[in-house]
Amino acid sequence: MIFLDQIFVNSKKAILNLASAFLPTDAILIVSALISIGAIAAFGPFTMMYLTWFERKLVGRIQNRIGPNRVGIFGLLQPIADGIKMLTKEDIVPAGADKVVHFLAPVVVVIPALLVFSVVPFGRNMVAIDLNIGLLFFLAVSAMTTIAIFMGSWASRNKFSLLGGMRTVAQLVSYEVPMVLAAVPAILASGSLSTVDIVEAQGGWNGLKWFVFTPWGFVGFLMFYLCGVAECNRTPFDIPEAESEIVAGFHTEYSGMKFALWYMAEFMSVFTISALTATLYLGGYQGPWLPSWAWFMIKTYALVFVMMWFRGTLPRLRVDQMMGLAWKFLLPLTLINILVTGLWYFTSGLGLRLGLSIGILLVSSWVLVLFNRPYMPEKRVYEFAE
Amino acid sequence: MFGVLRGMGITFKNFVASYFLPRKPNSLETGGMVTLQYPEERLPEKERFRNFPFLIYDTKPDDLRCVACDICAKECPPKCIYIVRDNDEQGRPLKKPKVFDIDFTVCMNCGICEEACPFDAIFMDHEFEVGGPERQQSLVYHMDQLLKPATHFAKIRPTDHVAIEEKRRKEAEKKRAAAQAQPKPPEAKPPQA
Amino acid sequence: MLPILAKLFIYGVLFLSLVAALGVVLLPNIFHAALCLVGTLLGIAALYLALQAEFIAVVQVLLYVGAVMTLVIFAIMLTHRIGDMTIPQTNKQSLPACLALFAFVVLIGGLLLKTDWSILVGTGGSVASVNPPVDTFMLGKALLGEYVFPFEVVSVILIAGLIGAIVVARKD
Repeated sequence: MIFLDQIFVNSKKAILNLASAFLPTDAILIVSALISIGAIAAFGPFTMMYLTWFERKLVGRIQNRIGPNRVGIFGLLQPIADGIKMLTKEDIVPAGADKVVHFLAPVVVVIPALLVFSVVPFGRNMVAIDLNIGLLFFLAVSAMTTIAIFMGSWASRNKFSLLGGMRTVAQLVSYEVPMVLAAVPAILASGSLSTVDIVEAQGGWNGLKWFVFTPWGFVGFLMFYLCGVAECNRTPFDIPEAESEIVAGFHTEYSGMKFALWYMAEFMSVFTISALTATLYLGGYQGPWLPSWAWFMIKTYALVFVMMWFRGTLPRLRVDQMMGLAWKFLLPLTLINILVTGLWYFTSGLGLRLGLSIGILLVSSWVLVLFNRPYMPEKRVYEFAE
Repeated sequence: MFGVLRGMGITFKNFVASYFLPRKPNSLETGGMVTLQYPEERLPEKERFRNFPFLIYDTKPDDLRCVACDICAKECPPKCIYIVRDNDEQGRPLKKPKVFDIDFTVCMNCGICEEACPFDAIFMDHEFEVGGPERQQSLVYHMDQLLKPATHFAKIRPTDHVAIEEKRRKEAEKKRAAAQAQPKPPEAKPPQA
Repeated sequence: MLPILAKLFIYGVLFLSLVAALGVVLLPNIFHAALCLVGTLLGIAALYLALQAEFIAVVQVLLYVGAVMTLVIFAIMLTHRIGDMTIPQTNKQSLPACLALFAFVVLIGGLLLKTDWSILVGTGGSVASVNPPVDTFMLGKALLGEYVFPFEVVSVILIAGLIGAIVVARKD
């Protein structure tokens, strides 16, 4: 059990032991870093490739189709075929584009998407860097995606691109606020910003003391996840790349491998957002019986599944609905949720705790829903229709 | 809120059902896969389906029904039919085409040639998998490619085949009856004066 | 080997952020200048990281890069034609600006010279071993304990600014 649990950690240690036989100590540190970097650099794109396959299969099944099934068994080689296609495609740069920025943008967008992998705890002892501000690092670095997207949209010199970029900035900046606030209850409860410490704080009850089983944890989980979906521009928040409105948004003018890089960044952030949600509220790698990394992957992929399920179900929100959701519903509710978390830790007795927190959360969300009556246009009357 | 959950439920039901319910191609009910793995499996062809025209012959390719009257070529809206009448050794016209080409890149599958043909010689085929390595010459079908036996027609459109055979039989009887009633054609009369 | 690498890293980052800072001033295209500003701020964040002030580094990225984004949007909105290369680099205020800058440099230089840096060069250890690492926990305690009054004042000023912005914007 422990052998399976620590198999990756131990294999890295074995390599380092092997290397220490004929390398100085300083070089060992560098080798260790290189192994971690290599693992992440291989894992990120690989995840992205198979997430594309997973999404196509899943949305296909939702629509009673089969999905890719021609290349390899179950279409498993489809991502490789796509990769070859992308690589051999002509790379078109618009004549009026800002060539340097246009080239830099897809390169820059992958950097934060890969960087955030470094603080994700994949399993017990399986985190590249255990930063004591890991969560903040994650949020800060993923915020840099905005700049890359805006670079790309501006440099394309295309109206649709620029519109998409503007929408992206508006959306990401708005959703960052409730996202950070929705993460606060987990920080309060674990008393640390380190992702590993947050996971370790959910280790009780045979590995099932996840924050999501408390009222504030449940609300925080839902809101963090929703904001995460908005942060990686996925349906129903895919306003920045709304196909039916602005062609493809910020990546309208990208083709070939550059387009693939945009996609890679998007899918890797789908994975990391799901991973972080699992870390914060679903207990990360904690869980009974199975190895820790297996639990982590199960939870993360369950959340990825839900994101793709959203995509197969929900239509796109309007811009005003999306902004209203962020500022008028999620933001107040996250603030109230922080208060409830504080109350939870300052009251004693399970009944009082549960009653108080559930009561406050229900009443406040009911009030917020009341205040946020969606705008319903009056039913149109067509004078000459009949 | 609850509408969203209900929608999610429906999609999830479809997702699960696609694995367990039997496949129902061409069905609008929810649940069950609708995809048909096309090149390996296909839907049964509908009898009145039409795509590109073909020329019909009764027993062997030489005695085709077409008499090179050029009506179909004149009626064809996009003018995709090209006919040259055949001549015998003396240069007299034969009731037979020498060249009969249909340009499938131009043909719009309207079936007017079939309706216009007074000799029931051209019909719309079910063949839709025409493709070629280039865009012009390989899609111009010549007479040898267009000729198909009457048995083929009977196979793809049995109802039409029966009706047309009936019509042709009646016409033939009428012609025979007319020939018996008036054994000598008017032209055969000896010239007067 | 590692200390050399660390020094190389720090000097490289310094050089790059200086180049980016020059770019902010010299580039004619306002969007490029804003992007260079992002580069400078990221370089400074990397310096903080090298000095083991992780919290400040991350907050630098979180806040300043986000702030630059709004700056960029204003840049886009203020430029008539996107990618306009003919914006003049100087105007009438360049002389006072130079004077102010000179005064600022004198101020900072004076401060630098006056500061007692003995902690850093004191016991002969490396920088990391002498400086206590900046603890986020301590930082939070200080902000909400010892310095709670300035903290609250700042937040009240910020809220006043926000409300003021809304009032100004709503006048139409």
